[in-house]
Amino acid sequence: DALLPAPQNISIVSINMKHFLTWSPVIVQGETVRYSVEFQGEYEREYANESWIPICECSLITATVCNITEDISATVAYNLRVRADGGARRSEWGTLKGFFNRITTSLTPPLMKVIADGYHLLVELEDMGPAFQFCVLYWKKGQENRMQQKVVKEVSSVVHLDTMEAGPDYCVKAQTYVEAINRSSSFSQTQCVRAQGSRSVWLV
Amino acid sequence: SGELYCSLPNPRNVHFESINMKNVLHWSAPEGTGDGVLYKVKYSVYGVGKWIRKPECRNINRTWCDLSSETSDYEEQYYASVKAFLNGMCSDWMETTRFNPLTDTKIDPPMISISSTEKSISIILTAPEKWNRSPEGESVSLLQVYPGLQYNVSVLNKKTKKRWFFSVSNNTLVVPWLEPGTAYCVSAQIHVTTPLLHSGFSKEYCIATLKDKTA
Amino acid sequence: TAGNTIFHFGPCRISMSMTEVRAGFTAIKANIQARDPIRTLSILSHPHSLHKVKSSDRCCIAHHLFNFYVDKVFKHCKTEDSYVNRKISSIANSFLSMKRKLGQCHEQNKCMCGQESAEKFKQILANYKGLNVTSAAIKSLGELDILLDWME
Repeated sequence: DALLPAPQNISIVSINMKHFLTWSPVIVQGETVRYSVEFQGEYEREYANESWIPICECSLITATVCNITEDISATVAYNLRVRADGGARRSEWGTLKGFFNRITTSLTPPLMKVIADGYHLLVELEDMGPAFQFCVLYWKKGQENRMQQKVVKEVSSVVHLDTMEAGPDYCVKAQTYVEAINRSSSFSQTQCVRAQGSRSVWLV
Repeated sequence: SGELYCSLPNPRNVHFESINMKNVLHWSAPEGTGDGVLYKVKYSVYGVGKWIRKPECRNINRTWCDLSSETSDYEEQYYASVKAFLNGMCSDWMETTRFNPLTDTKIDPPMISISSTEKSISIILTAPEKWNRSPEGESVSLLQVYPGLQYNVSVLNKKTKKRWFFSVSNNTLVVPWLEPGTAYCVSAQIHVTTPLLHSGFSKEYCIATLKDKTA
Repeated sequence: TAGNTIFHFGPCRISMSMTEVRAGFTAIKANIQARDPIRTLSILSHPHSLHKVKSSDRCCIAHHLFNFYVDKVFKHCKTEDSYVNRKISSIANSFLSMKRKLGQCHEQNKCMCGQESAEKFKQILANYKGLNVTSAAIKSLGELDILLDWME
């Protein structure tokens, strides 16, 4: 049989703007099967004769996963396909069912650590890459209606939020915001701290 | 006069080096030529049909030429070119890539001035100025060139060794509620989002909060 | 919304993220501009500069330019370099999504075309037609930063 079976179960795993194409392996006894991936944006479909563009990092690879993040870099509907090569034989293209638009990526709340350093309220945020900004809300415990907001565009270790009065607890929560798709994650767990002279005290 | 027969090796690595839009053309001498090589320079505005000679950089033996004045309009883009001469021989004209002053310049860190009280430090940040044709001329801050310019400020408590970061849009920052009699060191960086440009962090400026008079 | 870049073209307000287009263009700028040997002609900046366009005409010019790049430029810029082709695809798809947003303003009559923008765009097309298709497309792509600088 000249043709290999086309790769099956082609799907996308997209978390926090990192997009991966995965598929089931094509099994051929005694053969190493290799795979090649191509993508097609809406532009290619509508203006460039439905052309496909190969992803060279995923040309003739043995893995059954391909990082397509670099190429899915516009908020439009993308088509993706995979083909198998084994020995002298090649499969038809297996195509992702439906399109993939990065606007559907799942956004997880950011890892966050709140610090009280003397009378200063600080936050340490996880660096999630250039696409991410953070919306940080903080308030005096019990005064949820007087929340303050700070947008953190660049994560550089410890970010200063505000100064605190001695005594009350200060609570903080954060969510990510991705400008490219104009979406935000849900909020992280709230963390509360209290300023007491220069000693930091953790209260959760 | 007709062009000399150009068999001299070409100047190499002809490129603009730009800081705060002071745009200086640099190149390396042709391979294998010792002393005595002279150069001339021309430049052109991209999209405009003519090359313009730079008289102050005619028959020079240095390997740079300040074209800041000629390339000061940052809504234009430019090319520059260099030709070498030695013992009656000459090289070809060697060009830069297309130079866009707005995106291809490097930005110096901001200037910082700090003062302190017993429990606070005040930081005043000043963005560098765009290269200026003459000291008497009206100076233009890079803030006017890049309206989205912001400052990232780092404050280090020398006693606890803890460093905090602030991101500010205006040029003053007051950090209150500090410990009296404690040294703090401040450095700052300029950050422009569109086009994406960063300065390095400035050197650190240190100051101590005044001692607590009541203690 | 926090952090999204809002472009004001007269009454038309559009949130667009230019960061990725900038990054994509910066990655291929030297390669594309090196393929354009013509120094004496510009598609976008001469004889009339984009920077001289009245603010009331900005929306119309932007609308025309996005259509121009999507309809006439990107498809003629295929190169032998797979990396460059992928970046062009990224820019083209971003332009397509921005073209749609501008198109909405145009349909809502918030993107009026005055005499000046019509003249300006006619000049751009004349510059474009002054070259063969591939050279004109490569030159236009190489001038993307002129458009981005003007927009930002």
